[in-house]
Amino acid sequence: MLKTAVNGMDPRTKLVIVLCLSTLGVFIQDIYMLTGVLLISGVLSTAFGSPLFSVVKKMRRILGLFVAIAVVQSIFAPSGESLLSIGGFTLITGGGFMKGISMVLRMSIVLVSATIMSTSNSREIIQGLVQWRIPYEIAFMVSVGIRFLPTLSEEMKNVVTAIQLRGVDLDKIPYKQRFKIYSCLVMPVVSGAMIKSRELSTAMETRAFRAYPKRTSYMILSMKPRDYATIIMSLIAGVVVLLCYYRPF
Amino acid sequence: MSYPLEVHNLYYSYPDGKGDILKGINLKAEEGEILAIVGLSGSGKSTLCYCLSGIIPHIFGGEMRGEVLIYGESTGKLKVPEIATRLGIVFQDPDTQLFSPTVEDEIAFGPENLCIDREEIGKRIDAALMQVRMEEFRFGSPNHFSGGQKQLIALASVLSLKPDILIFDEVMSQIDTEGRRAIKEIIKELKSAGKTVIMVEHDWGNLDIADRVLLLKDGKFEAFSGTL
Repeated sequence: MLKTAVNGMDPRTKLVIVLCLSTLGVFIQDIYMLTGVLLISGVLSTAFGSPLFSVVKKMRRILGLFVAIAVVQSIFAPSGESLLSIGGFTLITGGGFMKGISMVLRMSIVLVSATIMSTSNSREIIQGLVQWRIPYEIAFMVSVGIRFLPTLSEEMKNVVTAIQLRGVDLDKIPYKQRFKIYSCLVMPVVSGAMIKSRELSTAMETRAFRAYPKRTSYMILSMKPRDYATIIMSLIAGVVVLLCYYRPF
Repeated sequence: MSYPLEVHNLYYSYPDGKGDILKGINLKAEEGEILAIVGLSGSGKSTLCYCLSGIIPHIFGGEMRGEVLIYGESTGKLKVPEIATRLGIVFQDPDTQLFSPTVEDEIAFGPENLCIDREEIGKRIDAALMQVRMEEFRFGSPNHFSGGQKQLIALASVLSLKPDILIFDEVMSQIDTEGRRAIKEIIKELKSAGKTVIMVEHDWGNLDIADRVLLLKDGKFEAFSGTL
């Protein structure tokens, strides 16, 4: 039923939902409430038909980073009982551990809620922003930036493969040397990206981009009553949750 | 009589100060003509395309001397949108020309920039797709297309601006035989429709559709005798 309700919603409505969820994720500290917000984000993301599971799969790659953040949080914000100490030095405390967990939850909320936006294509998002009176140059800049992220990642992979084909097994060399090699790879990737962005901007300008301060749109988005209702409900729910959190009755 | 495209004594040097890459180019392209320009890598073919299409001096820096005239008007004096409606350019790499999520959005991009009304944009999308025979891909994503199909969409996105002159800068260099055949067919149709076509090529196998071939060597035109 939820799936039917959210089907074909305006990208601006999705943007408001994402903003509300992310705001709650940033301002709330309580782990149980954060878990609740993450669950709601997951349910909404699934209802919108976003590729949530593939995103979660990809997130497994940065799981190590999450754990590292949790440990660093735990070390630098110690409070409560000691959970792990080495030679008299307290490494992880109960309070620090909870803060680490809440940080991980917060990042997960931002990532999971953001997947809702992936159910609209970049042109729809641009159009939504333009109809919200965001200058179209900025809207296109954001969209083109997102469009080129996979290209950049592919380029990085190609450069790494080229290095490996020359007999360098990156997995078998020490971290220090590996870091040095990666820092050398940045240069060709960045210069390649700059050449591509120059070619792209040239192609856009030869098709009269920024010819006039305004431009027409073949695509027009129109908000339906359910979009307005969803936006109002999302904003009210967000404010109520924050009020309950900061001023409990 | 004014030609669609004329070049008078054109010199150009990039801002890096390495001297002139184009050294006194003269050219006249007629209506309905397919003019091919060949030359070795680094001979200045792409730079010449940039000069012909107004990218130089409007977008890139450097020093340009001489004159490029589109229907008798200097590209230096014309504004970029004015050039875009008279002359379109398709580049070598289709991936850096396509940035929209659907074919329809990609083709609508140019007319939208010119503030053309929606109804007319719709008609132009239909016409451009018909010209490149890609009607059934209207709502598809160019990211999933073959190199040849991407290049056809890049061409359609230029055709939607209804230019009379088209420049193809080595557009067939990254595509398969089938894609090449399709593009050459469309170029011949554009010629029949009275469009002036300048095609920069490195593959001689594509020169069979050209009415005239010029060799660009060391920044100057030479008569093409079949060798570089």
